[in-house]
Amino acid sequence: MDRLTVPGTLDSLDEIGKYVVRVAQDAGLDKRATYRLRLAVDELATNVITYGYERSGLSGDVDICTEIDDENLTVLIEDSAVPYDPTETPSPDDFDVPLEERPIGGLGVFLARQAVDEFRYERVDGHNRSILVIHRPVADMETQER
Amino acid sequence: MAFEATLVTTDTAAIITLSGELDSSAQQIFREQIEKAAADRPQRMVLMMQDLEYMSSAGLRALIYAKQKVGSEGDIYIVGAPEGVLETLEMTGFAPSVIIQETYDA
Repeated sequence: MDRLTVPGTLDSLDEIGKYVVRVAQDAGLDKRATYRLRLAVDELATNVITYGYERSGLSGDVDICTEIDDENLTVLIEDSAVPYDPTETPSPDDFDVPLEERPIGGLGVFLARQAVDEFRYERVDGHNRSILVIHRPVADMETQER
Repeated sequence: MAFEATLVTTDTAAIITLSGELDSSAQQIFREQIEKAAADRPQRMVLMMQDLEYMSSAGLRALIYAKQKVGSEGDIYIVGAPEGVLETLEMTGFAPSVIIQETYDA
């Protein structure tokens, strides 16, 4: 497992983004998948920082842990903030509402869901842990099958 | 890359040029320009995105804010947005509410 630890503040988003892009490239994700994964981690980390820490009057770190195996890239986002399960955030269901009336909530988690193949949450030892799993491209296999 | 937003006002539109990466740490910078633009009560806000490299839901929230400022009769133009940004707009159902173009002639 590779790990990045940063303070739970919005200023850390830039470093988190650069780290995720590098890991995604190491895992062979294409440009689009890399952008989406960066977006997913940004959205979830932003929620941790904003709701978990800042608005709860807490401070702490955010850990981004990554692992690449033959099939998957796995990204864990861990924090020690208030218990918060992003998988319970309802997705927006109001795509037809005029723009100025769209509610603001739920967009970030929705974008995160679209980027990944699996999205789970665990509460472990006083930590929140979001688990993202992305299937790696099977380009090599396709070449063999032809 | 650090996010920047610069405003130019013409007779017909408020044109905000965005560059760099728009995440939640940068959204206040964008909102400030939207507020400045809104002071002239523009019918049209044009968001130039050729140099925008990345946009999270912070940008979507700012778009909602911009649309509130121009009102239901006003238009928001999205110009020259990169693929990732366009995909985000489409995925979240924002695309039909804005006018998406590759270029804009002021």
